[in-house]
Amino acid sequence: MSASDFKDGLIKEIPNLRAFAASLSGSMQLADDLVQDTLLKAWGNSEKFEPGTSLRAWLFTILRNTYYSLYRKRGREVQDSEGTYAERMATHGNQESHLDLADFRKALAKLPEEQREVLIMVGATGLSYEETAEICGVAIGTIKSRVNRARTKLAELLSIGGLDDLGPDRKSAAAIQRVGSEIVGL
Amino acid sequence: MNNTSVSMTESGGGNNDEVELILDPRVQESIGRSLKAHYDDIVNAPVPDKFLVLLAQLEAQETRAASGDMSDERL
Repeated sequence: MSASDFKDGLIKEIPNLRAFAASLSGSMQLADDLVQDTLLKAWGNSEKFEPGTSLRAWLFTILRNTYYSLYRKRGREVQDSEGTYAERMATHGNQESHLDLADFRKALAKLPEEQREVLIMVGATGLSYEETAEICGVAIGTIKSRVNRARTKLAELLSIGGLDDLGPDRKSAAAIQRVGSEIVGL
Repeated sequence: MNNTSVSMTESGGGNNDEVELILDPRVQESIGRSLKAHYDDIVNAPVPDKFLVLLAQLEAQETRAASGDMSDERL
């Protein structure tokens, strides 16, 4: 792969890198620092990228490792002092959807990191469970269980009442069903 | 809860201490839509020029290095 092709590949992935970095760090400013570090590392290690494999997955691995080794602590400090990007980011939607998005982001920021990262990767980035498992260095089953716990926790944090499209009757029903009674029945 | 403790003893210390919760598919869909809205909002935001400048610099450096110029400064 020529340097120019590699550069074009990186440029195409920048928006996704920013979105993933912001989801991890909870700060758009940190996210952009993180993306810059990721691009520098990727460029310096370009010979390690195997053409034909997913550049996005490769870059996410670098970004994630960089975050956990260098940024995690800073992220928490920034969140503590400035609030998360949820409240500060300008959005492009109308006022109503802005409010929904801000609420959602606040809830997302409250998830444990290991749940938040897999929920984003599986639910928004287009990465497969297999790729996500490889990026995180854990089994696919672990990814699935983290995604489940993340969704349940989010539903709890958003108290489902915020999801008006489910209709008023559904709100109090809360829609969380307990499985396990079947086990007892055996 | 009684149910939970029963399943725990029956499983002989397996992984059932955390009872699996399953969300209503409508809630899952709603969360999925919000996730995409959150993520795509940032994906669709303009990319700061500094990234394109950085990559152009890196490429120029490499071109210079390849053409035998030794002034290969690292960023």
